[in-house]
Amino acid sequence: MGAKVEVEGVRKVWGTGRPEGEGAVSEALAGVSFTLEPGDFVALLGPSGCGKSTLLNLLGALDRPTSGRVLVDGRDLSLLSDTGRDLYRRRTAATVFQFFNLLPTMTSLENVALPLLLDGIPLAEADARAGAALAEVGLPEKTGSFPWQLSGGQMQRVAVARALVARPSLLLADEPTGNLDSRSGERVLDLVSNLVAARGVTIVLATHSTEAAARASRVLRLRDGRLEE
Amino acid sequence: MSRVAPLFGPLLLRPLRRDRLRFALTVAGIAVGVATMAAILLANASVLASFAATVDVVAGKAGLTVLADGPGIPEETLARLAWLRPRGVALVPAVSATAALEGGDVVEILGIDPVTDPAVRDYRFSADETTLRQLFAIFQKDSVLVPAPLAERLGLSEGSELGVFAGGSLRRLRVAGILRLEGAARAAAGSIVFADIATAQELFAREGFLDRIDLVLPQGLEAASRAALEESVRESLPAGVTVGRPERRTATVDRMVRSFRVNLTALGLIALLVGTYFVYSTLSISVLRRRTDIGTVRALGASSRAVFLVFLAEGAALGVLGSLLGLALGAGMAKAALAAVGGTATDFYLPQASPSLALEPRALLTAFLTGLVTSILSALAPALEAAHVDPATTLRHGSVEASRRRAVNPLAAAGVVLLFLAALATRPGPVGGLPLFGFAAVFLVVAGVSLLAPFAVTEAALRSDRLAVRLLGVEARIARANLTGSLSRTAVAVAALSMGISMMVAVAVMVGSFRATVVDWVSETLKADLFVAPEGGSRALGRLPEEVVGLLDRLPGVASVDPFLSFEATTGGVPYTVGSGRFAVVAAHGDLPMADGSDTRETVRRALTRNEALVSEPYAVKFGVRPGDLVTLPALDGPVALRVAGVYRDYSNDRGTVTVDRALFQRLFRMDGAKSLALRLVPGVSPEEARRRILAATRGRFALRIQTNASLRDAALALFDRTFAVTYALEAVAVAVAVLGVFSTLLALVLERRREIGLLRVLGASAARVSRAVRYEAAALSALGIGLGIFAGAAMGWILIHVVNKQSFGWTIRTDVPWGFLAGALGLVVLATLAAAGRPARLAAATDAAAVLKEE
Repeated sequence: MGAKVEVEGVRKVWGTGRPEGEGAVSEALAGVSFTLEPGDFVALLGPSGCGKSTLLNLLGALDRPTSGRVLVDGRDLSLLSDTGRDLYRRRTAATVFQFFNLLPTMTSLENVALPLLLDGIPLAEADARAGAALAEVGLPEKTGSFPWQLSGGQMQRVAVARALVARPSLLLADEPTGNLDSRSGERVLDLVSNLVAARGVTIVLATHSTEAAARASRVLRLRDGRLEE
Repeated sequence: MSRVAPLFGPLLLRPLRRDRLRFALTVAGIAVGVATMAAILLANASVLASFAATVDVVAGKAGLTVLADGPGIPEETLARLAWLRPRGVALVPAVSATAALEGGDVVEILGIDPVTDPAVRDYRFSADETTLRQLFAIFQKDSVLVPAPLAERLGLSEGSELGVFAGGSLRRLRVAGILRLEGAARAAAGSIVFADIATAQELFAREGFLDRIDLVLPQGLEAASRAALEESVRESLPAGVTVGRPERRTATVDRMVRSFRVNLTALGLIALLVGTYFVYSTLSISVLRRRTDIGTVRALGASSRAVFLVFLAEGAALGVLGSLLGLALGAGMAKAALAAVGGTATDFYLPQASPSLALEPRALLTAFLTGLVTSILSALAPALEAAHVDPATTLRHGSVEASRRRAVNPLAAAGVVLLFLAALATRPGPVGGLPLFGFAAVFLVVAGVSLLAPFAVTEAALRSDRLAVRLLGVEARIARANLTGSLSRTAVAVAALSMGISMMVAVAVMVGSFRATVVDWVSETLKADLFVAPEGGSRALGRLPEEVVGLLDRLPGVASVDPFLSFEATTGGVPYTVGSGRFAVVAAHGDLPMADGSDTRETVRRALTRNEALVSEPYAVKFGVRPGDLVTLPALDGPVALRVAGVYRDYSNDRGTVTVDRALFQRLFRMDGAKSLALRLVPGVSPEEARRRILAATRGRFALRIQTNASLRDAALALFDRTFAVTYALEAVAVAVAVLGVFSTLLALVLERRREIGLLRVLGASAARVSRAVRYEAAALSALGIGLGIFAGAAMGWILIHVVNKQSFGWTIRTDVPWGFLAGALGLVVLATLAAAGRPARLAAATDAAAVLKEE
């Protein structure tokens, strides 16, 4: 089942280091509100610096909004304890990054098994599920490979397997094709949309590629920290 | 250079400011190594310099000096040289000895002839003029002249008294004059008193003997006639008396302290090796962290040579700073060491009283250059790596590490080869009396084990992974991934830690074995019930008179007396000791264990009946003597060759001793009395009771130090422990430096892996888990370092015991591992490394995931 996401009047302001007054703060998000139903595939479209990553960090409970609320399945992420946030990231929200962010010193299998082990699943079961996840993304033969032995597309598929292995209900993808050639990008997007369709996971796909956005069931356009749906 | 200069700012200075802690640790690491070395070199140079200065001052204007190989120069020698006087040569006799004063101070006493002495040495009195009358004041018995600084230190003035232990009693000497600190008074850094030669001979129990005759040659003597004169003098000298340049005694002292110095310097080098690890580690971390910056400046046109030079310059700069700091630290350590040993009357390595610290330029330069050169050498690899950064592509860290990983097996193979060479290097004998191959073996072990470190890290990580994850959870896998992922860094940290540990283990095994051997030896040799020596111990002047020997021989309750007598001799400039005891007593009790395990009673009895000698193990090794060989002793009536009946074990003296029966000794050297006596009591007489009887019989006439068996054993072991205290300090330093290395490595790993740590947080790892992973890394580094260190340390300990010690001192030591001490010390290392993980672990836990991931 996918997660229900409610974003209510979220603002995020950074100090710029300049003296007080005009320009002392920069507003990354200027009051954003939207609601996603379980299973929604939403593309978050906008140029660099529009606030996409900030919004994803808030949805991933990596950061707290300056004001407003982010509710996932009815829970306010700002109110979660540190342990609760760790648990949320392990079980509910998974992230796929533009630069893959695989741990370079672990094999594919170890990278994919990591979220399961973090969640206290025994080693043998974690390995079995990670192997299955790698097979699902079409890399059953790469379990023993290190990231530097893989191509960019393969690395991103390992990252997708790692994101989905713990069966999250929300997948946050931050420019997942931004660092790939178009063919590999296509494959990764196919993979994501198929897996999501099969499992009903809610997806937020941050991108500035309109082709990528075309696969989404809904598009949110972000410009200067505001939504222009 | 102008092409290089603009790179210093962006590549070095600014990053250094950001990494102040690591920078400081690196400088400290080099400083500690250089300090250790500088301290050893300076302490040695100071001892030698002050001795050489004393030799110069005492020799004064002498062109030639007559010295004795044996117990002294017979006074008749002056008459035999009387033909020199008409030729304008002044003959100036003197005797000298080191003495313990009543208050515990140690001074030199020089006995002079006030009439002839001004010809060779200058004396200036506080009255600012030299009058013979003032110098003649010491003609009065028991009168002395004292340099002003010493008088001030001891609170003396003209007419006051000075207590000195001589001949088994406390003698009071009257201060007849205060000397300015000029000329002869500068000898022994002013810790010297002057007496009339007759007073001194009586104090030293050396009537009829001289220690030196200085010859002042006429001015303008040509080299040829001088050599001819020297030859004529040589021909008129009795057997066992030699003539030569005054400075030759310095060479003898140099030889005496050489083994000791070489051993300590080798230990200092290992400490420095651990220190230079910091340079390598810091610089290679710098290169990794500044990879992008290097790429940028290369893209802007900086040549790879310029980049190479910048990083080499950084190594040199760290080396200069650390070495300078090390010199200051080392001078302080040397000063403290000299003060610690100079004040005691027991140390047998110091040839004279209280040397002061001499900042000898050559010692300073050697330590400084060693620090600088090793720093630059360890900067070579990182600098080359920096020079090879390709401006076009940003290399992925993983692929760099991958190329390093391919080197793991070749490195391990090279390590095995070095260990094999180390084994070979234990075979050859000493070179010029020094165990050079033994030291080579020690360094080969250190190098070989270091090369095995990457292999050990990868193997241990791979083989323990699944078990560790089951037992400790996923943190263990994260730790493992970090350890193998930054092999260039972690393997070096493990190597450095193992170096420190191996040094500690080796020294602990060596000293522990040595101590156990000495304990055994002491309990085998010190079997008598009471030991009698003059008050003032080994630095008391003269000997206990023959009267004391006779008195103890006749004392009721005493079963047997073994009086010990000895003097220092030289042969070809190499010093050794000639000693004596009552062989009949030794043969009856058998308390002189033989090196080859043969029967002591039989060997000593044979030596007694055939007038043969026994030699100590160090003597046998040093002079290559075996039972059945002949040794030549400088008897007063001419050299006497004695056959060696056996070699006995002796750990009290590394110069080597030839021991003969007392009757033979007295016949050859016409010396009586005793330096100390070992007493066995009639059964039923308690040591306390015997002690009371001795004191009652000698009260008022002799100041004796009477020790029971137990207290002498304790004193012997206390002396042993004091002698080796410095080695414990050294090893503590090495381990501390290595633990700091673990700290710096972990810190670097955390800084370098901030992104990965952030990612772990995104994947849902709690801060506590991230921090726990860092602690596991520390534990793994320390376990691997300890494991390799124990292996290397055991090998090095074996080499130190059976090769280095045997070849430098001639001692046979049985291996006895101090398990308790090692377990305690290694436990401390584990705790220290875990504590060192604290800050890096907290830093890892505090990583802001959102912020570091934004950095992409």
